[in-house]
Amino acid sequence: MATTTATCTLSSPDILSQAISVSSTMTLIKDNTAATGLEQLNYHRALIPTGTQFDLIPESAALNTNPANYVYIINKNTDVTDYAVISIKDEVIGSLYGGDWMFIPWSNSVTETEDAQSGQGNDTSIEITATTHDCVIEYALFHSGETLLTADDA
Amino acid sequence: MATTTAAISIASGDISDNNFSVSNTATLTKAGTDTGITKTTGLSRVETSATTNIVLFDMGESTGVGGVGAITRGKLFIQNLNDRGDGTKYVELLLGTVVIGRLYGGDWAFFPLDGGAGNDIEITPSSTTDTTLEYIMFYE
Repeated sequence: MATTTATCTLSSPDILSQAISVSSTMTLIKDNTAATGLEQLNYHRALIPTGTQFDLIPESAALNTNPANYVYIINKNTDVTDYAVISIKDEVIGSLYGGDWMFIPWSNSVTETEDAQSGQGNDTSIEITATTHDCVIEYALFHSGETLLTADDA
Repeated sequence: MATTTAAISIASGDISDNNFSVSNTATLTKAGTDTGITKTTGLSRVETSATTNIVLFDMGESTGVGGVGAITRGKLFIQNLNDRGDGTKYVELLLGTVVIGRLYGGDWAFFPLDGGAGNDIEITPSSTTDTTLEYIMFYE
């Protein structure tokens, strides 16, 4: 097992009449265990062309043995008008503008309604659509392991 | 305008051959501008023993959060304050009817919201054990 921690700190001196600061640290742990850490990491950097919805993190039966996965995504563009829309099952979660990041749990509950070849259909993949301009996206998927299920082409 | 920042730090000494560390700080601004977000729910705490679907934020409500109007865009931080225990109890985090993922005891999430009808933020606890959540929404 590995020990991976994620800390979020929110602070503002002036959004309320008193300064606020909220900080929390979590350890990324497998489902159905008290303290066994997630063991694997996929980390990517991608250029997302504008105008088309892509599966940024496709749902996968190969890593579906554990529903406790965590996803980190950041829009590395520096122009604050550039944004990428993040959705799941075609439901829009929200927009990441240049410099914005998000961190969410992800169940990867395989629904198998998406065509494996065309990528069309409604599934639990994390989807992304760059708007205004192409977006440079970095993202990480923390998971418990990936077992390859299908042989490659002979 | 206000200045609000959200910082993340992810670190592991052994998830790969070398240490892994990522840190970034975002300033929370109104969509597509440098103008800081000025509205917040403040930090709120809820407790529930229900195992049914609970609407935490009804994004389609015309009165919105605190009766101040519909949320058009926001950033939500939410945390499950329960002890992790044996890792079998959690809160499902949903966007409308779509499950995003599970918040086990001690877990948190931070993500943008575009709002709109049908994109309610909902939770479904897995156990009748009292669940305590804290959340804060920054919104336009």
